[in-house]
Amino acid sequence: MALITLSSPHHHSLSKTSRIMALVLLATLPGLAVQSYFYGYGTLINLVWASALALAFEALILRLRGRPVAPYLLDGSALVTAFLLALALPPFSPWWLTLVGVSFSIVFAKHLYGGLGSNPFNPAMVGYALLLIAFPVSMTQWAGTEITLTFGQQWHWFWLESINGDIDAYTRATALDIMRHTKGLTLSEVANSNPDLALGLTASMWVNLAYLLGGIALLVTKVFTWHAPVAMLVGLGFCAALFHMGEPDLYPSASQHLLTGATMLSAFFIVTDPVSGATSRKGKLVFGLGVGILVFIIRSYGSYPDAFAFAILLMNLSAPLIDTYTKPKAYGHKPKAPSSQGSN
Amino acid sequence: MSKIWDFHGGVHPVENKAQSNQMPIVTMAIPKQLILPLNQHIGKPAKAIVEPGDYVLKGQLIACAQGFVSANIHAPSSGQVSAIELRTLPHQSALTGTCIVIDTDGKDQWIALSPTLEPESLSNSDLLHIIQAAGITGMGGAGFPSVVKLQPKAKIHTLVINGAECEPYITSDDRLMREYADEMIKGIQLAQKLLGQPRCLIGIEDNKPEAIAVLTQVVGLLSKNSASTHPSIEVCVIPTKYPSGGEKQLIEILTGQQVPHGGIPADIGIVCQNVGTVKAISDAVMLGQPLINRITTVTGKAAANAGNYEVLIGTKVSDLLAFANVDMTKTSRLVMGGPMMGFTIQDTHTPIIKSSNCLLAAEDLELAPVANHHSCIRCGLCEVACPAQLLPQQLFWFAKAEEFEKAQDHNLSDCIECGACAWVCPSQIPLVQYYRFAKGRVKDLANEAHIAELSRVRFESREQRLIDDKLAKEEKRKNRAATAAAAQAEKRAANPNAQDPIAAAMARVNAQKQAKAMDAEPKSHTQKYKELKTAAAITRTKLNKTSKALANALAKDHELAQGLQTTVSELTEKAMHAQAALQAYEAKLGLDPEKEKTLQVDVAKANAMVRKLEKALATAEEPKDVEAELVKARSSQTKATDALTNHQANLKASPISAQES
Repeated sequence: MALITLSSPHHHSLSKTSRIMALVLLATLPGLAVQSYFYGYGTLINLVWASALALAFEALILRLRGRPVAPYLLDGSALVTAFLLALALPPFSPWWLTLVGVSFSIVFAKHLYGGLGSNPFNPAMVGYALLLIAFPVSMTQWAGTEITLTFGQQWHWFWLESINGDIDAYTRATALDIMRHTKGLTLSEVANSNPDLALGLTASMWVNLAYLLGGIALLVTKVFTWHAPVAMLVGLGFCAALFHMGEPDLYPSASQHLLTGATMLSAFFIVTDPVSGATSRKGKLVFGLGVGILVFIIRSYGSYPDAFAFAILLMNLSAPLIDTYTKPKAYGHKPKAPSSQGSN
Repeated sequence: MSKIWDFHGGVHPVENKAQSNQMPIVTMAIPKQLILPLNQHIGKPAKAIVEPGDYVLKGQLIACAQGFVSANIHAPSSGQVSAIELRTLPHQSALTGTCIVIDTDGKDQWIALSPTLEPESLSNSDLLHIIQAAGITGMGGAGFPSVVKLQPKAKIHTLVINGAECEPYITSDDRLMREYADEMIKGIQLAQKLLGQPRCLIGIEDNKPEAIAVLTQVVGLLSKNSASTHPSIEVCVIPTKYPSGGEKQLIEILTGQQVPHGGIPADIGIVCQNVGTVKAISDAVMLGQPLINRITTVTGKAAANAGNYEVLIGTKVSDLLAFANVDMTKTSRLVMGGPMMGFTIQDTHTPIIKSSNCLLAAEDLELAPVANHHSCIRCGLCEVACPAQLLPQQLFWFAKAEEFEKAQDHNLSDCIECGACAWVCPSQIPLVQYYRFAKGRVKDLANEAHIAELSRVRFESREQRLIDDKLAKEEKRKNRAATAAAAQAEKRAANPNAQDPIAAAMARVNAQKQAKAMDAEPKSHTQKYKELKTAAAITRTKLNKTSKALANALAKDHELAQGLQTTVSELTEKAMHAQAALQAYEAKLGLDPEKEKTLQVDVAKANAMVRKLEKALATAEEPKDVEAELVKARSSQTKATDALTNHQANLKASPISAQES
């Protein structure tokens, strides 16, 4: 047999990008299940629709860019974007909202910047931020947890945006929304007067715990390191605890911050995005911490109830700067380690 | 037992060591031909001291080390030197190099050897001489001449013996430790003696329990028998993790210290030797045998008799493969070295050299398939794996974009090319190849910069030389002038009455000039007159121009107006002066252009009157009146003409006319 010339190493772990992406997709399933349990079929419908759109747009733009379609389509990165966006969108999103979000994520945020590995911003978050700014009303249509719609009703709404009666009868403000817009009341007064808050908090706590479970699974399978998510949770938790200690009636507690909204979904599935995040482990700590602090600030003082899209995009912007200042010390560049002379 | 440290990163590839470590070492039959490259080591190539046709004995020196970092080469078996020529070297790019080719005669006849029975009695310099003469180089892979490492400048506190053998598939060190433990320990003691009796740590990965057991036993016996007379030797079992056998990594595992960037282990008081190298040292000293063979692993699923072979240096790869029953139809990738850092060879007629520790003839599915690599997603797995604590993903981007300065800034040069990053890369990017490319380019660029720097220095010294020459000439000239002046002064001092000839000449010239000026004085009247006229005209013109400009400026209300106003008044004054000077001069010369003009006008008037009257006379009714008038006019005409003629005559008499004529 003719001998070939190849550069070392000749051995490979056989790990693949597609495996990493598949693990990420799998890890979202507990969260998806719990979210669907509380908020109905909306998220599921959204997810399927977003996935189909993402694959279609990915294929189209790969073709336009003259890239091989199959290998890139099969790496699963487009599906991850679709999943993250669909999970973040409210259950009452109509078809066109998802269409706008996914197309912008895949075509603009990802491929116009060079495709997989070259996008400076997290594509799902770019799509989400666009929708949040352009269609603020549609983006608040979260279902009430006590309301159960049949699949048919949800399907009907999804395509035609009509439902038996007023849509407002079916939607509820999220826990974060309620806590953000207290209309001058203290948090305890709001909790007493608005039963939606307790319901919302319970639902989002379970959803967050489910995402936490998926995140831990990814940590165990070494898809990413602990640095970015833990730093983010610490940053958010610390700020929340500090302010809650000072003004417990104005600022929700750390646990409420950590277990509402998109906290866990972001911490383990979005902050950990390697492409748009910081590179070194020290950098990831800074990146995560920055996201956590920004989320607290925007949640507490901004005009949007949740803040992950903006916090993450802002930190994406800072990632190159963080990288510059957090280069690890290479072997042999450290100050001398203590001598081992006396160790035996 | 000493404390064991960990190093950053590392990976756990499938070890596949059982394929080759089950069988004891087999000595390979003497091949028909041996090919000995003159450059098997790091440093200068050796110089051949035999000629084609020479008969050489086993162990005979056939090529001499050139310089400090170089190594002797000996004939591995007896036979005839058939050629000294270019042959393909065991190298990734199939480079060629000069090789001594020996056709063996099968007698395997040794040259006279001089074994040392009591090495303790030898002086260090004698020991170093024996090791140098034996041509021993590092047997672990790099092939650095051992004698250099055994005479460090710094004080050594630890001798690290590398028995980690972290590369998958390779088991030559494993078998060597099991079967040659006594020789190894002897070699270690010799090295300790040379290095000033430091402690010795033998690092072995825990996947070699048999080797650990054997060595522990030998070391235990030794310390029981002679604990007081010898420095300590310790077997350190380290966790199996690639690349723990890298020199820098093993030093960190065993001592917790890092070799400083750009430095060598001796900088922190450590010397590292491979187990095969210390065995070779023992052979050289105790048996008097130079380095002419080594233990090489032949492995991979294509090798029917995978195992370890004691082969003569210079044995052709094809001979060894045949001896180990390798089915070459089953493999398309022949790797020299291990699967992580080894290189592929295509020409199997290339020889086994002093640093060839393994031949891997793997079946096609055994090694990583040739994959199309994907985009880097910066997942960071490579960073987690990198034992040099670099950012491989960043280095990859920099290498790809040819941003070599940035790559260097990210410590590209600290990359040991272990391949851990490429091994874990989910996008299957051949990262090490990118780093090799970048390192090569950095080297090229440094060379270019060096050459440019040389040219600059050359150019600048040339410029300086030219300036120096010029200055030297100037200096010389000055010196000459000074000498001449001094001579002159001396002359004058000797003869004070003699006039300075130059001063005399000058005086003469001046006198002449003066005389000339005196002569020229009367002639310059016209000139002066002309000059005055010109000056007056120029001032008038200037005045006119400036006045116009002033008018303009005033019309446009320009800020220059004031300045112009001043200029105009100055010019007016000047013009007046010039005119006055001119007139004064004219007066002095007796010139009066106004008078001449008046006279000329008078003449013209009289002429006109005469012509008019003559016409009138022709047509007059009363010619008498007209005639009387005409007579009057003619007389005044004559007067005027006379006056003019007089005046002009006067002028002619003036100095100007005299000059002009």
